[in-house]
Amino acid sequence: MKIEVDARGQACPKPVIMTKKELDNLSEGVLTTIVDNEVAKDNVSKLANSLGYEYKVDKKSDKEYYIHITKGEATVDSNVCIPDTFKDMTIAFASDTMGSGSEELGKILIKSFVYTLTEATPFPSTLIFYNGGVHLTCEGSEVLEDLKKLEEEGVEIISCGTCLDFFEIKDKLQVGEISNMYTIYEKLKNPMNTVTIG
Amino acid sequence: MKDRQFGVITFKSTNYAIKGESVFKNENIEFRTIPTPREVTHSCGLAIKFDLKDIDLAKKIVEEKSLDIEGMFKVVKKNEGSFAEKLS
Repeated sequence: MKIEVDARGQACPKPVIMTKKELDNLSEGVLTTIVDNEVAKDNVSKLANSLGYEYKVDKKSDKEYYIHITKGEATVDSNVCIPDTFKDMTIAFASDTMGSGSEELGKILIKSFVYTLTEATPFPSTLIFYNGGVHLTCEGSEVLEDLKKLEEEGVEIISCGTCLDFFEIKDKLQVGEISNMYTIYEKLKNPMNTVTIG
Repeated sequence: MKDRQFGVITFKSTNYAIKGESVFKNENIEFRTIPTPREVTHSCGLAIKFDLKDIDLAKKIVEEKSLDIEGMFKVVKKNEGSFAEKLS
């Protein structure tokens, strides 16, 4: 079976996502992705490589790269244990400011950071808020609008229940779910990437 | 992501941006403080984002409060690419 993905004119990371999607649908065969720049060619090649598939690049011109990816029986079963490295990420917010030095600056930086999350796809899979970080998910937070947008896009938002209790703001929670340390540990330990902001 | 456009005001320094934010907070205008979009400059500064329908109001605030700005831009984001145009 042969499939072609024409990703010319698509901005990063679209070619990779398009290729990944078709590869997931394909049980066996050759998939050819066409891209129009070298960066996209490298990214699609990296994807093939990370999934353990053989690939061959055919450069037709500076604006035309054909990447032939072979998904065969001999390769590992992709359904078993290949996490989606592009999405599988947890970001933990340990505080309602970003960094230390100036609280005023830290509050602006964290707003800026959460806004950036809404702008860059793919989105992370989970956002965790603990200690002072829970102020970000509660009434009065200046990032609620962005967090709600991310939640609508399927990002899981978790606030530490103990922390909400401590600050007595459990009834002020405006976005996401309340959870406990077991879930927080799982969400920090399982993904490919975990980033802590605070 | 669907096509969209908005206005941004950039500043000469982070401190001016913070001052700009506090001035805008006291005005009747919808805005956000955001990282300066890459389309405008490669520096890692802060910028004020506003709705283009409020362009006159934004200009008025900058003028009346004598904000020390670097520039005002229109940012256009499209699937096929993004760009910025200087507004003033």
